Formats: sequence, C-alpha cells, structure tokens
Amino acid sequence: MIGLVALLLISLTIAFVMTFLNEILNFKRRKTNSYPYECGVPLYDDSARPILKQGYYLFGLLLILFDIEAAYLFPWAVVFRNIGAYGLVEAVVFLGVLIIGFLYALKKGALKWQI
Amino acid sequence: MNDIIFTAVVIAIKILIVLAVTLGLGAYLTWYERKFAGHLQARRGPTVVGPFGLLQPLADGLKLMTKAPILPRGVDTKLYYMAIMMALVPAIMLFAVVPFGPSFKIMGHEIKPIVANLNIAILYVFAMGSMAAYGTLFAGWASNSKYAFIGSLRKAALIVSYEVVLGFAALSVILLAGSMNVFDIVNAQIKSGVWYIVYQPISFILFLFCLLAESGRVPFDIQEAEAELVTGYNVEYGGMKFGIFPLAEWYLNVLALCAIASVLYFGGWAGPHIFGPFSGFIWFLAKTFGLLFFVLWVHWTLPRYQAKDVVEFAWKYLLPISIINLVGTAFFIYFKG
Repeated sequence: MIGLVALLLISLTIAFVMTFLNEILNFKRRKTNSYPYECGVPLYDDSARPILKQGYYLFGLLLILFDIEAAYLFPWAVVFRNIGAYGLVEAVVFLGVLIIGFLYALKKGALKWQI
Repeated sequence: MNDIIFTAVVIAIKILIVLAVTLGLGAYLTWYERKFAGHLQARRGPTVVGPFGLLQPLADGLKLMTKAPILPRGVDTKLYYMAIMMALVPAIMLFAVVPFGPSFKIMGHEIKPIVANLNIAILYVFAMGSMAAYGTLFAGWASNSKYAFIGSLRKAALIVSYEVVLGFAALSVILLAGSMNVFDIVNAQIKSGVWYIVYQPISFILFLFCLLAESGRVPFDIQEAEAELVTGYNVEYGGMKFGIFPLAEWYLNVLALCAIASVLYFGGWAGPHIFGPFSGFIWFLAKTFGLLFFVLWVHWTLPRYQAKDVVEFAWKYLLPISIINLVGTAFFIYFKG
C-alpha cells in the first residue's frame, strides 16, 4: 500500500516535470502562440467546440447500466466456489434479466449508431 | 527498526524497476516498433543514429525536449496541461500490479516482485484503464481544434463500448481462479497445470479485442486515424507534451495490458525451469513480449474500421458472446468442480 502511494507521488512528479519540460528548457525565451492546426487556413470561428451530434448517446446510457451490473458480478465471481447452487441460480437469474434488457435495447434499435 | 529500513529499501528498488521499465523500455519500444514496421514493409527502419539505429530513441527524446513550447490560441490552459498528466500517471500506475516473477527469498524475507500486492488487482487494472481515457478526452476538448475534438469523441465511443466487454471477459477467468489477486491467479494455473487459455479461448479473444481498442491500436485506432484526423486528439501538442501521449497510450498501456493478459491466460511466470533461478522472470517477459509482438504485427498489417462499425460490433456481438461465455463457465465450474 505504501508502495502504491509512493509510486503515485513519483509518477505525478515525473508527469509534472515532463509536461513543463519544454518551458523549463526554453532558455532563449522563445514565445510562440499559434493558430490551432487546421491545414494552414485562418480559422472560420474562434471556438472549435461546436454542438455536435455524436451518435453514441444511447450507448453511453447503456454503459452505465451494464458496467454497474459487471461491478456487481466481480465479488460473486470471487466467492462462487463457496456459495454453490444458490450462487449459480442467482447469477443466472441476474444475467437473464440483463439479457432481456439487452434484447429490448436491440429490438428498439438502441444498439445502432444514431445518424 | 532494521525491518522498516529493509522494507523501505525493497519498495524503493521495486519503484525504480517499474520506472525503468515504463520510461526506459517505453522509449525503446518506439525503436522496436519502427524497426519492426520497417522490416514488415521491406524497409530497414532507423539505421543512422548508432549501431542498428539503437540511439534513435535518445535522439528523438532530445529533439522533443528542445522544441519551443507552443500554446495554441484559444486552448483551455489548465485542461491542456492536465490532460498530459491524466494520460501518463494512470499508464505508470498500471504497472503497480504487474507481477514480474515468482516470489523469492532474500535474507529470510519473502519478497514479491510487485509494487502493490492488491487483492483487487484486476479491478484496479480496469479502473486505471478507464482513467487513462480521461487524458485523451481532456486533450481533445482543451485543444480547441476540430480534429482533436472529433478524435477524443471517438475515443469516448471506444471506451463506452469496450469497457463492458473487457469486464465480462476477465470475469470468467476470475471465476475460474476464484480470486482477483494476480499471484493467486497464476498459482491457481500452476496448481491445475493448465493455462486458462485452454479453458477460456473465447474470453482470451475478447480480451485481445479490448486490449487493441483500449490502447488505440489498429484495427481500432479510430481516434487517431492519420488519414482523416491527422493524429486526432494530440494534434495540438508539441515537443515533449506530444511525446507523452504515444508513450502512454501506445506503449505503456499496451505493455501493461499484455502483462495482465499473460497473467490471466498464459500462466504468468509458469514454465519449465530451464534458465535457472531467473526462469520465472524470463518466461513472464517472453510471454508479455510475445503478445506485444502480436499486437504490433496486427497494427502494421490490418486496415482500420469505421467508428460506427467498431462500436456496433462490440455491443451487438462481443457483449452477448461474453455473457454467454460467463454463464457457461459458471455451469462448468459448478458441475465439473
């Protein structure tokens, strides 16, 4: 545990130094402040953070559902050998409900990239 | 008192080894990949700097360090710098739970060659793997460039779809081993005498897909598609700020996930004792680098998929397969022991 904390602190330090390495080694104090890279033409608009349809909004919602389900299954997997038939039936019911939800999403067309 | 000093020295040595692996080996993997890609395409790769181009990574590093610092107009400055740290720190932290070999004894103390012997190591790997995605997302958002923005959105799509499959794929191995500790998983494989790839070939293939997707390798490197997005999310970064991103994502993440894959499916350091006391370490490195070689081979051979296809493929096919595989494994363990 001490090792983990120490490694975190050291890696944070290394990341910090490497982030600002160019600024530290910039002895000539060159100052550059350039356009965002867009093939050399002047920008049409100042901000490149448009309102954009990203097409995977529903996948994001489903991720929350399925990832939490997976998180519930991790402790089950560790103790599975100790809980016997009860654990098996529980998990099958649990995953069965999950599969029904999955089939519903599939049927409704939520597993398509929304164009 | 002596014990405390001894423990501190051991931890310091372990951390030094991890840093040497992550930063030194990570840099040299660029040389290895360029050489490999060169020979695959009937070129010779780097040859000029040093014998066989061996000093090329140092020259590259020197060049990146001495570049003028560029801050593009309109960037979100705090996020712009924070993204670099968010990419590098989780990539190094992943190596905290990589066991480099079997435990051994020095001066009566048992030493495990791992920085933190967590009992939730596999969960920790997933957590750090998801954290690494934030570096990419922040980079794309902060850069104020449309290429970078689209690249980071695509990365989000990848993470959204492959995180779940990765979890379910690894669950079946955890089910077999009955533990999330890396040492317990390897010892269970040594005890049963069979590597888990024999029991879990489907799970291994799913894990491999997720490995390629999480680390942005071909055929799932849609977030940095050179032909469309130049290099995607890191296009506005220059100098060492740029150098961090490929190091973290292409090399450190791949190396760590390959090491975890060799623990989960190839028995970690299990293998015949033909190299004397170091055979465990050598076997582990051989398996990890074998997987890495495969990843590079795929990278320089296959074309790239569309973002749409990659995401739909994960949800429509990989996820049901992984759930069915999990249920099948549970039944197998219950009825066969």
